[in-house]
Amino acid sequence: MDRTDHAALAARLEQRVFHEPADTPADLRRSMGERASGGPAIAPPYDEIARQIGEAAYRVTDAQVATLRTKTGTERATFELIAAAAVGAALERWRQGAAAIDEAVK
Amino acid sequence: MRLAEIDRGESLKSRLLIRFISMVSGMRLPDAARVAFYHRDFLGPLGAWTQAAMRGPSEWSVGERELMAAMVARWNSCAFCTGAHRATAAKGLTRATVDAALADYRTAPLSAGLVATLGFLETLTRTPDAVAAADARAVLAAGVSQAALADAVAVATVFGVITRYADALQFAIPTEAEYDKAAAMLLKRGYA
Repeated sequence: MDRTDHAALAARLEQRVFHEPADTPADLRRSMGERASGGPAIAPPYDEIARQIGEAAYRVTDAQVATLRTKTGTERATFELIAAAAVGAALERWRQGAAAIDEAVK
Repeated sequence: MRLAEIDRGESLKSRLLIRFISMVSGMRLPDAARVAFYHRDFLGPLGAWTQAAMRGPSEWSVGERELMAAMVARWNSCAFCTGAHRATAAKGLTRATVDAALADYRTAPLSAGLVATLGFLETLTRTPDAVAAADARAVLAAGVSQAALADAVAVATVFGVITRYADALQFAIPTEAEYDKAAAMLLKRGYA
């Protein structure tokens, strides 16, 4: 059976969301992603929503998204930062899962 | 939906497409599809990975992968995604099996390998730092191949992203009948 190269697809997602040009600065997207995966606190108002998306996104509020929208100035930029936080939290799980599998078959 | 541009469509083309699909399907196009049409240049690689993980070659059936997606949604308390993937999984497994798994996958009528894999995905989703080689070994000992476990981790990862933005953006919750229609579309058209 052909295999899907998940590591390559994960790397492509990481590259696009955290390293390539978009409406928002790449370093801000990386900070959002790192904060959502348990990284250090970042500047307000980014910190609160990034942490919330990582820990329990269902508790994100209208006010948190509205504040981010006001700060970024556009919906596209707001979307990029929300997505960056979500991708950061999830890719951390990919890394942890892949590392556990690698270690198990050593 | 907390961002109006995603709700109505970013360009004239996407607005017409959203209207057309809604008309043909007889239901409001779900927010998950509206996001997929939005700023494609940015999250395109997520769509490609989701399609590969959910519909690409794997030892898991499409129904089993949809069940994994529903479980990840449940562990992340994402009501929209739980409903969407519950309905889609039910078309490959059965509604009774899927609902039993959502209630308690450890006692549901699933293969030992799938139960072990869901145990791994639960730890990975809830407490990723706690996942260790011993957890992976337990899944392999239940007869799951290394590649199949990696496929399952990929499903959990892409839905780790999707559930988070679904809730942060507050996707509108469809009715049961709409979920059922959307499930048929997801099976026919996939995620790309």
